[in-house]
Amino acid sequence: MKSTVWLTSIMLVCVAMVAGSGCRTSGEDMGEALIIEELDGDHALTDRFEDGTRVTDVSFDAVRFRYDSYQVDSAEESKLERVADYLQRAGDVNLVVEGHCDERGSREYNMSLGEHRALAVRAYLIGLGVDSGRIQTRSYGEEKPLVMGHDDNARTQNRRGEFALYR
Amino acid sequence: MLAVTGCVLAGALEAADVEVVKVGSIKTTLSLSRMSGDAHAATQTFRAVLEADLLRSGWFEMAGQGATIEVSGFGRVSGDRLSVPCRVVNKLTGRTELSETFTATTAEVRQLAHRTADAIVFAVKRVPGIAASQIAMVGAHVGRQDLYLCDADGQRLRRATHDGAVCLSPTWGKGATELLYTSFHNGYPDAYRIDLVGGRRTRLAAYPGLNTGAVLSPDGRRIALTLSKDGNPDLYVKDLKSGVVSRITRTQYAAEASPSWSPDGKQLVFVSDRSGRPQVYVKTLFGKTAVRLTYEGRENVSPDWGADGRVAYSSRTGGVYEICVYDPQTRRHVQLTKGGADWEDPSWAPDRRHLVCTRTAGYRSHLYVLDVMGDPPLRLTTSEGDWYSPDWSSQ
Repeated sequence: MKSTVWLTSIMLVCVAMVAGSGCRTSGEDMGEALIIEELDGDHALTDRFEDGTRVTDVSFDAVRFRYDSYQVDSAEESKLERVADYLQRAGDVNLVVEGHCDERGSREYNMSLGEHRALAVRAYLIGLGVDSGRIQTRSYGEEKPLVMGHDDNARTQNRRGEFALYR
Repeated sequence: MLAVTGCVLAGALEAADVEVVKVGSIKTTLSLSRMSGDAHAATQTFRAVLEADLLRSGWFEMAGQGATIEVSGFGRVSGDRLSVPCRVVNKLTGRTELSETFTATTAEVRQLAHRTADAIVFAVKRVPGIAASQIAMVGAHVGRQDLYLCDADGQRLRRATHDGAVCLSPTWGKGATELLYTSFHNGYPDAYRIDLVGGRRTRLAAYPGLNTGAVLSPDGRRIALTLSKDGNPDLYVKDLKSGVVSRITRTQYAAEASPSWSPDGKQLVFVSDRSGRPQVYVKTLFGKTAVRLTYEGRENVSPDWGADGRVAYSSRTGGVYEICVYDPQTRRHVQLTKGGADWEDPSWAPDRRHLVCTRTAGYRSHLYVLDVMGDPPLRLTTSEGDWYSPDWSSQ
């Protein structure tokens, strides 16, 4: 994950550790516990904003994901840069990132995976300087496929993060 | 051919039983030849439903003369009520196992037969019956999703919600009168409880992000569910009275899902993809570490912790999902299904012997009932549409 988010995260953790600000170990996944604690605080979701009116005159390409993965591939990063640029110009627009999965796997696990994808997109946008309070997440799991069908092409298109803009 | 599959439950077999042995589970012979009644349609329905229920229980084989268990009685309709005095005798021991009159309105004849069947199962086998229990599910038909309910024999299918929005993961709350589920009717995936008697819907969790998979603790005081409010999909427990929310898992690079309570309410079994693929884990609520339960198969999902301690789950092996059962006493995993389709989302029946699950073949989903003691799968849903995510009531 060679992204700005990753670098920012590492820096935040380092700062936190230097400052000695109460890093608890969770016991699970011991080696990663310190990073977990500090990042969670940084990217916690803020209260849901009122949706307002859906912005329809601008749209952005959906971010694609690999099977069973929530990580933003480097090939998808330019899509996120365009979204971040827009949000920084349009200061009155809020964003709901919608996470989707293909139809394989359990519906309930796919709700969590879809949310994980939406949160990864959100973290990336925050890393590009977008205010975290302007981005909410919404997982649809496998419940809202973009394309009907069960072949690789349909599944590739269905594993996605969409951008719903509200003013 | 002797084919005893799975484990024999305590109390299931008595020394005095005459056992008819064939492919499937061992049965006790039972005769209904002295169970009759008047010519009223309700009485005839009662007799037919009772026989089907007793067969479906898995414990009995119908026989005439020489049956171990003889059920006798005479049903009569008077006004709008059907009454059936029922006597159950073990012919080998001469003991009367049950002597009771079952009564209901003729409109509730099916439920009356279910109650009678469960009383017979309990009197003879000392295990809970399933005939009067209920199954909740999601039904998808002509672009709509709603929650539905049906009896354990698949009959009396009825819609429980009219949200006009995506809904998911129904689970039974207290008794068989309330459901917990996830609905998008407010735009986001939030957790609700719906009272099936009064129809009232209560919001249980609507934090920013994901609120899904809510399951009620055995003591009825807390729910376990998946939330993402702190920036990652993790498991939480919410106390329903105080509203206090406690975080159970804390995994930055993983997503958790599908919690199910242990019978004592002290542990959760759930899905986590911390190993790179979704697998089943167990964690004591506020313990330090989660223990991985499944290593076989590409992925393992949808665990359901049964009242007798066994965990059913869905395992992706050989390209399809199969239903497996893990017994913590023997530490053995047993695969119940044998391919031919995707078998997913198991949920234990109150008799601890049967499971309901989703079978998907040709991209169509229907519910099936499985038997851990070896009887073949039975299809439950017959109506048009897709039927999935079943949850069997605990009584």
